[in-house]
Amino acid sequence: MTGTRLLLTVALLCSCTQLLADANSWWSLAMNPVQRPEMYIIGAQPVCSQLPGLSPGQRKLCQLYQEHMVYIGEGAKNAIKECQYQFRQRRWNCSTVDNTSVFGRVMKIGSRETAFTYAVSAAGVVNAISRACREGELSTCGCSRTARPKDLPRDWLWGGCGDNVEYGYRFAKEFVDAREREKNYAKGSEEQARTLMNLQNNEAGRRAVYKLADVACKCHGVSGSCSLKTCWLQLADFRKVGDLLKEKYDSAAAMRISRKGKLELVNNRFNSPTQEDLVYIDPSPDYCLRNETTGSLGTQGRLCNKTSEGMDGCELMCCGRGYDQFKSIQVERCHCKFHWCCFVKCKKCTEIVDQYVCK
Amino acid sequence: MAGAIIENMSTKKLCIVGGILLIFQVIAFLVGGLIAPSPTTAMHYMSIKCVDVRKNHHKTKWLMPWGPNQCERIRDLDEAMSRQIEANDIVFAVHIPLPAKEMSPWFQFILVILQLDIAFKKNNEIKDNAEVTLDVSLAYRDDMFSEWKEMAHAIETRKLKCSFASPKTIEHEGRHYDCDALHFMEIGTVAHKFYLLNIRLPVNERKLINVGIGEIKDVRLVSIHQNGGFTKVWFAMKTFLTPSIFIIMVWYWRRITMMTRAPVLLEKVIFALGISMTFINIPVEWFSIGFDWTWMLLFGDIRQGIFYAMLLSFWIIFCGEHMMDQNERNHLSGYWKQVGPIAVGAFCLFIFDMCERGVQLKNPFYSIWTTDVGTELAMAFIIVAGICLCLYFLFLCFMVFQVFRNISGKQSSLPAMSKARRLHYEGLIFRFKFLMLITLACAAMTIIFFIVSQVTEGHWKWGDFTVQGNSAFFTGIYGMWNLYVFALMFLYAPSHKNYGEDQSNGDLGVSSGEELQLTTTITHVDGPTEVYKLARKEAQE
Repeated sequence: MTGTRLLLTVALLCSCTQLLADANSWWSLAMNPVQRPEMYIIGAQPVCSQLPGLSPGQRKLCQLYQEHMVYIGEGAKNAIKECQYQFRQRRWNCSTVDNTSVFGRVMKIGSRETAFTYAVSAAGVVNAISRACREGELSTCGCSRTARPKDLPRDWLWGGCGDNVEYGYRFAKEFVDAREREKNYAKGSEEQARTLMNLQNNEAGRRAVYKLADVACKCHGVSGSCSLKTCWLQLADFRKVGDLLKEKYDSAAAMRISRKGKLELVNNRFNSPTQEDLVYIDPSPDYCLRNETTGSLGTQGRLCNKTSEGMDGCELMCCGRGYDQFKSIQVERCHCKFHWCCFVKCKKCTEIVDQYVCK
Repeated sequence: MAGAIIENMSTKKLCIVGGILLIFQVIAFLVGGLIAPSPTTAMHYMSIKCVDVRKNHHKTKWLMPWGPNQCERIRDLDEAMSRQIEANDIVFAVHIPLPAKEMSPWFQFILVILQLDIAFKKNNEIKDNAEVTLDVSLAYRDDMFSEWKEMAHAIETRKLKCSFASPKTIEHEGRHYDCDALHFMEIGTVAHKFYLLNIRLPVNERKLINVGIGEIKDVRLVSIHQNGGFTKVWFAMKTFLTPSIFIIMVWYWRRITMMTRAPVLLEKVIFALGISMTFINIPVEWFSIGFDWTWMLLFGDIRQGIFYAMLLSFWIIFCGEHMMDQNERNHLSGYWKQVGPIAVGAFCLFIFDMCERGVQLKNPFYSIWTTDVGTELAMAFIIVAGICLCLYFLFLCFMVFQVFRNISGKQSSLPAMSKARRLHYEGLIFRFKFLMLITLACAAMTIIFFIVSQVTEGHWKWGDFTVQGNSAFFTGIYGMWNLYVFALMFLYAPSHKNYGEDQSNGDLGVSSGEELQLTTTITHVDGPTEVYKLARKEAQE
């Protein structure tokens, strides 16, 4: 049994090494902890070449902005967490498969789910870089419209520095889109369609962060009157970004490539998508059953909700295959006493709950 | 008999003066819009969570968020939980500014706002009327390697005003509350290059300190400072305006003292307005570049307050002196009803400002709004000042209405009057209407620009070209009121020119009541002229 499986995998591996190599992505930064830059000797740049999943363009950016890599990894990690939260009740639950391709072969298909994943991870990078800016971790942050360290003190003194969110947006655009930009496909080809789709979805993700960042203001004129008012952008909780992108996922537009090499709507009756909308080019694969070619993991063994009629209900989740019931003891913390940090004193309350698992 | 310059000036000359003033006005706007950057910048800081390990080793008291001597930091508070670090040992450290930058006296002030990221937990919700107690200390140094010197230390409480948008179910655990930003700190000079803030949130269950404030995830700060570029442009403007106003003031006073009679009230008020304008203009702020004068903000507020009070008084007195009725005023005491509210209102605002900015000189973390009593007190002062202002405007509107009523009354009887009197009244009406017009124009400009600057983002882009709306607003409006005072002193100064030779042959046989009015209104009689003497005589009869 194991032997045949092994053989199968080997055979699969052989036939798809080309594909697999291509499936590597910068998302892998989330899985492999990136070492903090201060740990390396200055000048040596093995980090960037050792990091799996970077395209040549991204590798170059990595060399230029080494300190950013940790935060890109963090952003990707947050994005995956958010994706898994948003899709916890769906057949495809954003589960990670391995450390290099991260989501596995499902991402080869230009489906809605892929669109969401690209968008949310681009959003994660904007978020993480902007945050790192605020922590003062990035030396190029804030004042660097372009790299011009010589003018920096003067700029800073004269007119302050640009906004962190703006910097996060620009850097994420450079980095995340680098992979798509460095490829050149024939006009109207499948690959070009996919590239365009990725670019659009990355942009939608980044814009979601920007759009949800709200402007906060403070009045501070004479005696605190509003004759002077200063405003700044304030990043929203990343959960809100996830919520928005999930909405965009539900209203994503199906596209196809035109002969001119542009994406166009499959169904002309709909409004064409704006830069904030998600698009996809392929129908979603069947996520019910495990399928090695599509990369679907299937829903076997997933927990489901017996009473729900939605996607998390056992009927839909298990694709009509039925479910097993078992009792489990859940230990919950209750009657807790908290401090704002680090201190929780709870009693343990146990509860027996029925759980259902897809066949 | 001499009137003000404005009456005796030819229309052509008046237009030329108006044109020149307009050019200066446009320049004032352009200086702000094109040269100066935006007036202020906000910088974000995410505080670094340091672990205070002093119990074990005796290091310095100050915890640095980054750099060579950085503290032992934790990435998030879950890590603290797993390492069993207590809440009392966590210090939120923020270094102002960000690495590779330094603060400068040109920034004039730093205002810091505190924002707490509090996650919702079903078991650990924010209680009603929750208060957070902060143990804050501020230190400074002027180079990267010297020791930190303490500048201030305080234990402050702030009220948490948080709301939660989603339903409070387990499902939404981990989402953040929407909390109002809290006032944190304000310092009136930026005399040092680097500042360090260490914030602790001590927990004391017995005294219920920092209990029931939810699960704090992050402490974020926003610091606001004036931009160096804006400060430079502003100072330059003040330095240019001070001598201009001062010279015209001296000239104006010389004109008045050259007359044989003593100056009347209106002339004195205009002069006082000039003095208060000069007082604002004098660029004492230059000293803030070299000296650590923390009271600069307060001083600036007081200067502005004096100018506003002066301007409001001037309007009232100007209306009163152009009333053209029988009452003899010419004395400040005649205006106590109108000037009283201004004085009371200004005094209230002064007390309020002393309570806020005055105390901040001692404790930069203080704010009157953070306590209930303080809030009520502050509100009381502001409401009294507001009532005074309303009262004042009612009086002013009523007076303006009265003047217009008298004007229309006089206008109908103008043709029947003798030439000297007609000219006199025409002069009065013209002077009043002219000032009314420019005052309204200036006030309207101020209000419109204020609203625009509040509503819009404050800068507009045309290609590579950015116009800083907010800066233009400040320099433009500031320039405008300077020009207003300048024009006032120039145009309303007594003129040397006479109405003409024929004034003495004019038929002066008029009733005594009407003539008396001529003496009560201002700036017209250059010493006891024929008219004046005649009027007196007739009045005595």
